[in-house]
Amino acid sequence: MSLKVDRDGMAFTFKGGMLPMTVMELTSADPERIREQLAGKLSQSPAFFQHTPVVLSVERLDEPHLALERICAVCRSHKLLPVAVRGGTDPVKQSSWALGLGWFPPQEAARPRTLESVSVPEDEAPPEPAAVEEDQPLPGTGGRIFRGTVRSGQQITAPDGDLVVVGAVNAGAEVLAGGSIHVYGALRGRALAGIHGNARAGIFCRELRAELLSVAGNYKRLEDIDPRLLGTPVQVRLDDDQLGITSLA
Amino acid sequence: MAKIIVVTSGKGGVGKTTSAAAIATGLALRGQKTAVIDFDVGLRNLDLIMGCERRVVYDLVNVIQGEAGLNQALIRDKRVDNLHILPASQTRDKDALTLEGVETVLNTLNKDFDYIVCDSPAGIERGAQLAMYFADEAIVVTNPEVSSVRDSDRILGLLASKTRRAERGEDPVREHLLITRYNPNRVDSGDMLNLEDIQEILAIKLVGLIPESEAVLRASNQGIPVTHDEASDAGQAYADTVARLMDEEVPLRFHEYQKKSLLSRMFGGGRR
Repeated sequence: MSLKVDRDGMAFTFKGGMLPMTVMELTSADPERIREQLAGKLSQSPAFFQHTPVVLSVERLDEPHLALERICAVCRSHKLLPVAVRGGTDPVKQSSWALGLGWFPPQEAARPRTLESVSVPEDEAPPEPAAVEEDQPLPGTGGRIFRGTVRSGQQITAPDGDLVVVGAVNAGAEVLAGGSIHVYGALRGRALAGIHGNARAGIFCRELRAELLSVAGNYKRLEDIDPRLLGTPVQVRLDDDQLGITSLA
Repeated sequence: MAKIIVVTSGKGGVGKTTSAAAIATGLALRGQKTAVIDFDVGLRNLDLIMGCERRVVYDLVNVIQGEAGLNQALIRDKRVDNLHILPASQTRDKDALTLEGVETVLNTLNKDFDYIVCDSPAGIERGAQLAMYFADEAIVVTNPEVSSVRDSDRILGLLASKTRRAERGEDPVREHLLITRYNPNRVDSGDMLNLEDIQEILAIKLVGLIPESEAVLRASNQGIPVTHDEASDAGQAYADTVARLMDEEVPLRFHEYQKKSLLSRMFGGGRR
């Protein structure tokens, strides 16, 4: 018996994949208000509304029943294609399925908690928000610039864009970005770019010493990195599901 | 107004208590009225290093829980007039400390003292966080080895986020790097991290470099802070450190490899 599968005879194969997806985070359940706001957005950036698939996130709504059908209709009339719903109560889940939409469980309680005072004993310390050395949003891009050293135990995230660190990322620190990561200094910690699956994101640094590099979920550990590249300036990008590290020297 | 300085490191055994005792002594020798507080509740050591273990009656926990007054618990140093020691409790644990209690003690000391030196316990838990919470300045004690450097880096992150200054958005805690147990010969042979590498990773200003020295162990066991041993390299290095803390410019010493002469190699060698 052969283990080889006759590829021609197969109708399909299942493959895991991570696609970039727009999430529409609803803060109102009123279809009319959604319609008004969408109309405003449509005039600002018509290119965005080209049958764009969206996931409707209802996590921030506190209503057991939603006029889901009407909300979907409003979206479709503005050339947005709702493909799934995230969060909500059981009736919301049932009506999503009834409408032919997928349903995702709510995202886990997102990380950055507020600083707990020292008087509260902690068993499991949350990652410290980084020093307020200088930390600014990158205007217009959803990105972020951090000036200073990202220290062991700290985590800096730019979920919606590029992260620029003007300084070093030390061992035991973690930098994450929805887009690319640029480190103007030594990268000794962990860097994860394209955390929402953007395979075109990259990592750029002046001195490579990273514990872990990852682009869109494809990663390399320090051990897997060609030792000749260590200590040199490099760029990291995804090429056919393979993480490629090339010298910039 | 007193300056509150925390001596901290993350890692244990790097020389926090030795440094806190030596620096507090150095400040007092320069005429600054100084109090040094042992925050290592349950693993009390400072009194031993300061040589006052036989005179401990009350401690920090007694004061915080209202069982004794601060003046009853403060021990006056026998050698230097301006120096006072507030010992830790050996029978309690770190949960006996409260943020409010520590604040009250520091506020009371604030009126009478120029410097308050807080000797932090190792780790990054409650005891260490309480020791650093009210600090104006921090001395981060680091040994020339990778694990110590990484732990110091972690502590620097906490100093920038979990102190009163950070929470109130005031000027950040002034951070100083103190490298202890530095042995230039072993750095030269590659056994130890060198000064430049440590400074590059931690990216803070160097306040002092204490060479690995027999004088330190001797001082600890005798209960006389090494600053009093003016003939020793470590004693001089701590005196330099204190001068730099008080914003004086002092050139760095004891960081260069001493080449052994042929004679000492022949007769004094093999003593690594």
